[in-house]
Amino acid sequence: MEMSTRSGIPLQRSYVAASGAAERPGEYPFTRGRLASPNTQTAWIQRELAGEGDGRRTNQQIRYLLEHGQTGIDVIGDAPTQSLLDPDHPLAREAVGTQGVSLCRKQDFLDLFKDVPFDQVSISSSAPAFFALSGLVLAAREVGFPLERLRGSVLHGPLYTEDCSYAWHLPVDFRVRLALDSIEYCSRHMPKFHAYLEDTYFFSESGLSPAEEMALGFVQLRHLVRKLIARGIAIDSFAPRIALLVNCGMDFFEEIAKIRATRRLYAKMMRDEFGASNPRSLSAAITSHTSGLSLTSQQPVNNVVRGTVQALALVLAGVQALEISTFDEAYRTPSKDAHIVALRTQQILELEAGVAKVLDPLGGSYFIERLTDQLEERIRARIDEIEAMGDPEALSARGFFREIFHQAMEDAQLGVEKGDVSLVGVNVHTMPEKDDTLLREVATAKIETWRGHTKKIEHFKRGRNTARLCDRLDAVAATVTASENLIPPVIEALDAAATIGEIVTTMRWALGMAPDIFDHPLPQREAGDQHVA
Amino acid sequence: MSREFVALAIMGIDQHENGAIAVARVLREAQMKVEYLGKFHTPASVADNAIKQDADVVGISCHSWEYMRLVPQLIEELRMRGSDIPVVIGGSVITPEDSEKMRQSGVAAVFTSSTDGNKLIECVRALSGSRKRSD
Repeated sequence: MEMSTRSGIPLQRSYVAASGAAERPGEYPFTRGRLASPNTQTAWIQRELAGEGDGRRTNQQIRYLLEHGQTGIDVIGDAPTQSLLDPDHPLAREAVGTQGVSLCRKQDFLDLFKDVPFDQVSISSSAPAFFALSGLVLAAREVGFPLERLRGSVLHGPLYTEDCSYAWHLPVDFRVRLALDSIEYCSRHMPKFHAYLEDTYFFSESGLSPAEEMALGFVQLRHLVRKLIARGIAIDSFAPRIALLVNCGMDFFEEIAKIRATRRLYAKMMRDEFGASNPRSLSAAITSHTSGLSLTSQQPVNNVVRGTVQALALVLAGVQALEISTFDEAYRTPSKDAHIVALRTQQILELEAGVAKVLDPLGGSYFIERLTDQLEERIRARIDEIEAMGDPEALSARGFFREIFHQAMEDAQLGVEKGDVSLVGVNVHTMPEKDDTLLREVATAKIETWRGHTKKIEHFKRGRNTARLCDRLDAVAATVTASENLIPPVIEALDAAATIGEIVTTMRWALGMAPDIFDHPLPQREAGDQHVA
Repeated sequence: MSREFVALAIMGIDQHENGAIAVARVLREAQMKVEYLGKFHTPASVADNAIKQDADVVGISCHSWEYMRLVPQLIEELRMRGSDIPVVIGGSVITPEDSEKMRQSGVAAVFTSSTDGNKLIECVRALSGSRKRSD
């Protein structure tokens, strides 16, 4: 019987030595790893996705994880936050705080990061980058922590945002601009911060193969790099702070080879195509999430095993940071119980199994080296194919990528239905629903909608100095039209009590679009308000 | 007999489309007519669309708990407009207990990620057929 990887690379029953390139970890082309001697406190940054309810509730989650040995932070917004809608938006009300944290104003970010040791942990956000960054700057400013020492990352995926994630209802060229403005701002003010984490995770969760995931990731990354260079920013001033967030599904060896091939492709591309020379511009930092899509609502305990296998693949591939999608993923964002299981899994891999003691331990394996070469070829060929079709923004606007994602969703489902892909507990080794009880109660425990928080936001909106607020929103609108960097006026608008929903509505208005998909009103100046410049 | 016509939609700001797209394919392959209305619907906009297009069955894909409140509202919106179009829901987040609650609020059928494709087709066909007969 013919065997192949998920990307369709045919598999042999065994492998013999290939050309035998003598690559070393920490050296060009970095296939075998970014650094020769990693300098983190743990072998990789160990963190779990946090977010539910309001900033205060999520702050408790973060502290709980830090108390139990987590070495980084990653925060996800609830569906309204991810969609740039305020909690009181008519479409958002039922989803406040249930699938992440509600963040729409400065105070939410202050609550979220209260007493978080900025000097000890890196702060990553899986919320919309532009606003996550603005909020983090305000939180650091509040406690007097210097921006140039902030570590962490924000995610960008402007070409694919509307297609398979939380839509922002903003045009693609403007989404690209928000990404470029964020990266440019950080290159000036936040030299230790990963201003651009290329997010291949979210769109590959549509069911893309590993090769397709990285090809689309590179298409976007290359597009943004070209645009930054066109803005006159030197490649070596921003490239060292680019990182990639990759997915990890169940095809164990292919996922490892994917990451090795990605590092090699990245190094060659940065040096030969973009003229980077700083070694840190050439070595890609890779962060990773295990695949939520691979987890099942049937027999949720099996997801613990899937997370472990995927995490092992990622550690063997030499990633810089790792998050395990937790066993309750099919139902909810992680509960306290799920958090601790995932964190302990990472700690056991490092401390008991010792799988990170040696760099690139699979390097030199006939099979892994061959598969790495093959993936590099496949990814490269697909990048060239897509780029030959024209401007990626135009492709995005006309739905080219949406088609790819929708097709992947169909194919993934079809593979399971037809049995081409084995999913234990779903299409093989199933059990009757009445017997499927292990961890079920924990996995399905609901998070109630945070209606109290929405009331609080409504009350907050009524009690503001509208003159100052409207001035700052006017400044945002003027900057949209003037094509200057939008981060500074947005930070000041948030500081003057504007909400993210209002800022986005202002941007849409300045772009000549309808205020939002539901025409939610902007704040009006009140008669008698003092005009504060 | 005319082809069954199913209108599929996602309500609120739930944006997980994998389920809706997979179900659309299964029903189309069974020769049904399927209109995927897309994301960002309110109960009222689904009701308006379903009635205007004369759907036989309305299917709601649920991957966030918003559905618990929005689906009963959809049924109310349909009945307020004098429509008896049956509403079915599907999604991995639906637990057996919640499934029972949904049935009590008037949902005609509930599908989970364990539902077999043939069973789904059979059920939609039966609902659609009984509605056509009562026309």
